[in-house]
Amino acid sequence: MTTTLTKPPADAEPKPPKRSRGLKAARAGGQMHAGPVAYLILAVFTVVSLFPLVWTAIAASRDNQRLAQTPPPFWFGSGLFDKLELAWTDANLGEAFLNTTIVAGVSALTIVFLSTIAGFAFAKLKFRGRGALMLIVIGTMMVPPQLQVIPLYMMVAKLDWTDQLQAVILPSLVSAFGVFFMRQYLLQALPDEIIEAARVDGANSWRVVWHVVFPTARPAMAVLGMLMFVQTWNDFLWPFLVLTQTGNPTVQVAVAGLGRGYTPDQSLIMAGALLGTLPLLLVFAIFGKQIVGGIMQGAVKG
Amino acid sequence: MRARIRTARKAMVLAAVASLGAGLLAGCADDGKDEESSSQGGNGGKTKITLGLFGSFGFEEAGLYAEYEKLHPDIDVQQTVIERNENYYPPLVNHLTTNSGLQDIQGIEVGNINEVANNYADKLVDLSKYGKESDYLPWKWQQATTKSGQTIGLGTDVGPMAICYRKDLFEAAGLPTDREEVGKLWAGDWTKLVEVGKRFKAKAPEGTTFLDSPGGLLNAIIGSEKERFYDASGKVIYKSNPAVKAAFDLTAEAGEEGLVGNQTQFQPAWDTTIANSKFAAMSCPPWMLGYIESKSKPENAGKWDVAAPPKAGNWGGSFLAVPKSGKNAEEAAKLAAWLTAPEQQAKLFSKRGSFPSAQAAYDLPLVTDAKNKMTGDAPIGQIFAPLAKESPIQVIGPKDQIIQQGLTDNGVVLVTQGKSPKEAWDNAVKTIDNNLEK
Amino acid sequence: MATRHDTAAAPPGKEGGAAPARPPVEAVPPEVAKKRARLSRRWQRDVRWSPYAFVSPFFLLFAAFGLFPLIYTAWASLHTVELTAPTDMEWAGLRNYTRIFDDDFYWNAAKNTLTIGIISTVPQLMMALGIAHILNYRLRASTFYRVAMLAPYATSIAAASLVFVLLFGRDYGMINWALDLVGIDRIDWQNEKWPSQIAVSSIVIWRWTGYNALIYLAAMQAIPQDLYESAALDGANRWQQFLHVTLPSLRPTILFTVVVSTIGASQLFGEPLLFDANKGASGGAQHQFQTLGLYMYEQGWVNQHLGRASAIAWTMFLILIVIGIVNYVISRRLRASS
Repeated sequence: MTTTLTKPPADAEPKPPKRSRGLKAARAGGQMHAGPVAYLILAVFTVVSLFPLVWTAIAASRDNQRLAQTPPPFWFGSGLFDKLELAWTDANLGEAFLNTTIVAGVSALTIVFLSTIAGFAFAKLKFRGRGALMLIVIGTMMVPPQLQVIPLYMMVAKLDWTDQLQAVILPSLVSAFGVFFMRQYLLQALPDEIIEAARVDGANSWRVVWHVVFPTARPAMAVLGMLMFVQTWNDFLWPFLVLTQTGNPTVQVAVAGLGRGYTPDQSLIMAGALLGTLPLLLVFAIFGKQIVGGIMQGAVKG
Repeated sequence: MRARIRTARKAMVLAAVASLGAGLLAGCADDGKDEESSSQGGNGGKTKITLGLFGSFGFEEAGLYAEYEKLHPDIDVQQTVIERNENYYPPLVNHLTTNSGLQDIQGIEVGNINEVANNYADKLVDLSKYGKESDYLPWKWQQATTKSGQTIGLGTDVGPMAICYRKDLFEAAGLPTDREEVGKLWAGDWTKLVEVGKRFKAKAPEGTTFLDSPGGLLNAIIGSEKERFYDASGKVIYKSNPAVKAAFDLTAEAGEEGLVGNQTQFQPAWDTTIANSKFAAMSCPPWMLGYIESKSKPENAGKWDVAAPPKAGNWGGSFLAVPKSGKNAEEAAKLAAWLTAPEQQAKLFSKRGSFPSAQAAYDLPLVTDAKNKMTGDAPIGQIFAPLAKESPIQVIGPKDQIIQQGLTDNGVVLVTQGKSPKEAWDNAVKTIDNNLEK
Repeated sequence: MATRHDTAAAPPGKEGGAAPARPPVEAVPPEVAKKRARLSRRWQRDVRWSPYAFVSPFFLLFAAFGLFPLIYTAWASLHTVELTAPTDMEWAGLRNYTRIFDDDFYWNAAKNTLTIGIISTVPQLMMALGIAHILNYRLRASTFYRVAMLAPYATSIAAASLVFVLLFGRDYGMINWALDLVGIDRIDWQNEKWPSQIAVSSIVIWRWTGYNALIYLAAMQAIPQDLYESAALDGANRWQQFLHVTLPSLRPTILFTVVVSTIGASQLFGEPLLFDANKGASGGAQHQFQTLGLYMYEQGWVNQHLGRASAIAWTMFLILIVIGIVNYVISRRLRASS
């Protein structure tokens, strides 16, 4: 037995053998090496995924006249760093990055935390009204959000929260997606034996969450964190309503005015878009590492 | 045992992260307040005036804020800009209805000015005391003035339309190239423009059309009409107005004859037709010259020229309004008046190409001496000023933009895609009526 | 999936000393249960109430920030109300709903939503599954692929729209240029019905495949290695392992992505909007790629008819509910018959 147990329960039923897999979970698929075909598919996929981003940089490095010509440029011009610098100073991106990091960071962390405990309860705990409550959670996803912002703005106006970051953060925390996501993940990934073993060990629910659920859910938490960070980072419909460039702008608000003029300066707009995306790639790199590791290393390998 | 310790440590890390999140949450709530209090009391006691604008104003780029701050050392001017009016206007409507989140000065596009005047005049300062009516074009002043006589916005720029044309392509097709002569080809009648188009087509260089797009032509014709989508009482009349139908039919005819490119303006594909010299003429307000310049190959500089249109009309332009809710409405109104005064509008024209709505600016050297590289140093200030004065006092309505967009993007463009003019008109009318119905 | 245990019957653990591990509460003799209850009132309180504590933050936040907007739009859908005066409502009864029956634009949008939804969602999820499977191998530079995978989701709307409109340009677009090389006539991607829907779908696929792949990948990480080992011992090749080990284990996650993608497809509006960003929200000259989400956006934000837009939003909600019920009934039948 390799679990968090210090001693096995005295009179535990013998477990059906197939369930022991959950206890011995190691990195799935980890031993299979990828063949050349796999690398080829990945290469194609990576190129297609990255192409628009790379082309954004190419567009930012060229002037407007070149962008309108055909064929469009396929390689970098000389103006990239000038344009990036111009975009940075014109949009006052330093402050915007700080604000957006706070907004996206707080939102993502809070959503991950709240979704994990709620998802755990929905997936693994029995309580009256569970099914109905879960349906409500999913139901909240079904109403399209584009109209909700109008009444929401009336609330924020009443609260006098315009130009303040909590006006962006707090409404973003209602994430049915996160709850549903963690529930489905934990249904699959968290064997009941581990919870029970911890219970037997005397752990109360919060300890189960800390010691069993969080370690198990780590890859899913990393993915959810990434997705929520990006979503909050890139949101613009709502931030346009509540924030301005003169009061706590997020990145999307800050770059919204770039390239302005009767003739929009496309390459400056692209430079702003590029600057707004780069920090996300950094975050991916950090969280991407998190989901490389196996899920239960901590709990299992003793 | 080791495993357990490791798990515990992980849990602690997670807990720390979570509490950091909570801390940041609390912290940023404070931040907001700090920020606000410092903006009120800070800045060395300066009065901060903020402008909320969309893309086309260009005050900051022209150095006007810096100039004003120099003249008024106790004032600090800041702006917040959203490049596209489609993204700027709906939030503005939300802000006006809730009377919150408004800047001290708000820019308003001409397509929206009537709706704002109809709905929110009580929330906006009457600027007739701050701006001097005689400085401005009468029709511009009138557009922002309510029936009860309140002027809710001061005009910034206007878009008097001329016809910009390619001298080299005209020459190749055997048409005159001198701007006076070219103007005479179609003076007074839009159908003459289409006739010239047929002449162009007969000898046109391969792969070129006479005009850039159906939308541009329809826009120009309708822009020269006094009454178009609404009548003076505010009733929607676009369907029954013979002028609108005539404009549509003429554009459709040009489309069927292949005189206009199969393009929608301001799409990237349309940009490439500028770059690749695919058309010979287009209706163009002064700011379009800047657009042409930014999309053209450098070797095409000087190949363009500007001729008078069949009839004078207007395309675009904006206003500045001052919400009453602002802390410094009085100072804001003074700034708005200064920014739209003739001297400043002339500076803006010379630096940004926005044509003044203040007719008093037309005699200033910055306007009379203005030249443009793309048009071989044509005196564009002198060409456009009379056109701006001749523009009709147009009846505008709250949903002008929706109607116009329906007629072009859901209507006449279909003719260039092989639909009959009737199908195109029906499609446009159906779209517009559905969009207007509450 | 693994059977769930009645956690409410979990033993008191250390406090209770050597307590039996698992028999459900009902089966315990009353006097034992009483004793246990006394010994572990805290325990039982914990077991009974902690689920509510865990789910309550979501519902509290929802009550604070989600409920009023929902009620407002529901109320607005019964009124004639404009964005220019959102508190100025004029009672319209069910007019905003009944008018939908002869609103050609609505049904056109509904059809487009369905076709674009199918063209985009099915290949997207299948590709995501395959990519996730590959990413689950031992790879060089695996972090790099994961980062690249999410790049489309992170790319700003402004950049993505410019790139795609260029790619799909009729006269100078790269895709038509490539088609021309292999002898296919150029296609008017924006103005013709099916090409435009395919183009919009390809933007959807581009943006969301990596996103779903990462979700699958996280779930694959939780599949125990020994399942693969025993499958391998039974002589299963990689493809068979994928079919018989990966897919069954992923069922809850696949269900999740299907539900979320269905909801997402029904609300799709960003991609069709950005595909023709200069033209408002009509989804092409003949509304050929206008989705319900875009139509709702057009009515609400562009035309400012808040009441009509709210009614459209609620019909979208109702359609999803109907799909959900149908799905439930079918899967029940299938389960009962098997």
